Amino acid sequence: MKFMGYPRPNGRVGTRNYVGVLAAVGCVNEIVLSICHQIKGTVPITHQQGCLTVTSDLAEVQQAIINLGKNPNLAAVLVVALGCESVFPEEIKAGIAESGKPVELITMQEIGGSIKTIAQGCEIAERMVLEASEIHREEFDASKLIVGCKCGSSDATSGLSSNLAVGEVCDLITKEGGTFLFGEVCDIMGSEQILARRAANKEVGQKIIDAVNGLIDRAAAVGADVVGCQLTEGNKKGGLTTVAEKAIGATAKSGTATPQGFINYGEAAPLNGGLWIIPTPGRGFENLTGLAAAGAVVHLFTTGLGAPEGHPIMPVIKLTGNINTWNKLNTHMDFNVSGIIDGTETIKEAGKRLTAELLKVASGKLTKAEVLRYDESMNILTYGPVI
Amino acid sequence: MGKAVLVNDKDNVVTAVSDIKSGEDAVYRVSSGTKQIKASEDIPYGHKIALTEIAKGSAIIKYGEMIGRAKQDIKPGQWIHTHNTDETYAPSR
Repeated sequence: MKFMGYPRPNGRVGTRNYVGVLAAVGCVNEIVLSICHQIKGTVPITHQQGCLTVTSDLAEVQQAIINLGKNPNLAAVLVVALGCESVFPEEIKAGIAESGKPVELITMQEIGGSIKTIAQGCEIAERMVLEASEIHREEFDASKLIVGCKCGSSDATSGLSSNLAVGEVCDLITKEGGTFLFGEVCDIMGSEQILARRAANKEVGQKIIDAVNGLIDRAAAVGADVVGCQLTEGNKKGGLTTVAEKAIGATAKSGTATPQGFINYGEAAPLNGGLWIIPTPGRGFENLTGLAAAGAVVHLFTTGLGAPEGHPIMPVIKLTGNINTWNKLNTHMDFNVSGIIDGTETIKEAGKRLTAELLKVASGKLTKAEVLRYDESMNILTYGPVI
Repeated sequence: MGKAVLVNDKDNVVTAVSDIKSGEDAVYRVSSGTKQIKASEDIPYGHKIALTEIAKGSAIIKYGEMIGRAKQDIKPGQWIHTHNTDETYAPSR
């Protein structure tokens, strides 16, 4: 199983060849966007973080920013700082530079305002894009792929078709030595014991269970019962009977693979292959960003009703098992697995076809979210209060 | 003829992917071709139909995993939902 990717100095392989313009703190998002609107080949990495959150969140955000910069879909990175943020821009620059790619840092309060910073950033980004354009795709084994997944705007078809097709891809890619990332904690809740039993060892299993309990506790701290409201009236009307059924249908995206390890949000996954669990939230902005920080270079997004999400640095393949959604929202949907529902295709057949599509996208075929420029909505997860 | 989906060969339920009337057969794919089950009551789209006898207290299996336990004896063709299924999930503490 092969794909055509971009080689990076640290041995990782990208599916895209962007120059990332990365905000160290949310206050400079507008500068980042101005540079990216001007310079072709750049992508904006923006968020609402980097200042006035608790210390543990600042450390996690800085780690996530560094690992977003290290994502192999970026050939080079321009870090834009404000000058007074609570994260450390020099550490961010040094952290990204460990990957061997070119990194530069500009600081708005030192340069003297947005206009001059945008001008200087554009000059650097132009040079970086021209240099990156001389890196070319080469053939690699699927073992060099890190694939993320999530479900969103789900309906009755999700747990019966698209999630199962993604589970097949997970099994096929991990058998080839590739790495698959899974872990919407809210969706695991109800199936964590099953996933923990499948884990490579007790420690990984316990971390999966702890992640679910952590969500339950954080919700309880603000008076909410996330278990009690997991199975909605709409879910029941749609035919879901228990929390376990809903959860297992969502966890089906991880196929039958063994969870090899667990990484925290903001950390990067090793390129060891296998299924890795990362405790991302269900919300797309933070979810996709957590997977990109973990090193995912392509993403499978299942949707029943039709979610529009993409991500600045990861191609996001959106698939649906709902034929009405496929027809009505065809300008957003990349892949149709409704054959599983109408009986014309087996789950295994759909999984094989989806794997072939994944390799095509990894090799350069554009997703609809990329063509539609869904590339400015992202955020980094924090746990504590905004101060 | 109604339509249903069998997710895993170990399952004792299938899920309707069309509205199925009482007395109507629902056809579903298996690895060797197709099978069918006669619904003994109305089954809405997205809801489950029992494939086998499921005794009170026994596991209801979908995705090859237990999704709940039968609150009462269930016969093949019956609708499976909250009225005859107990939740088995509780957080691990």
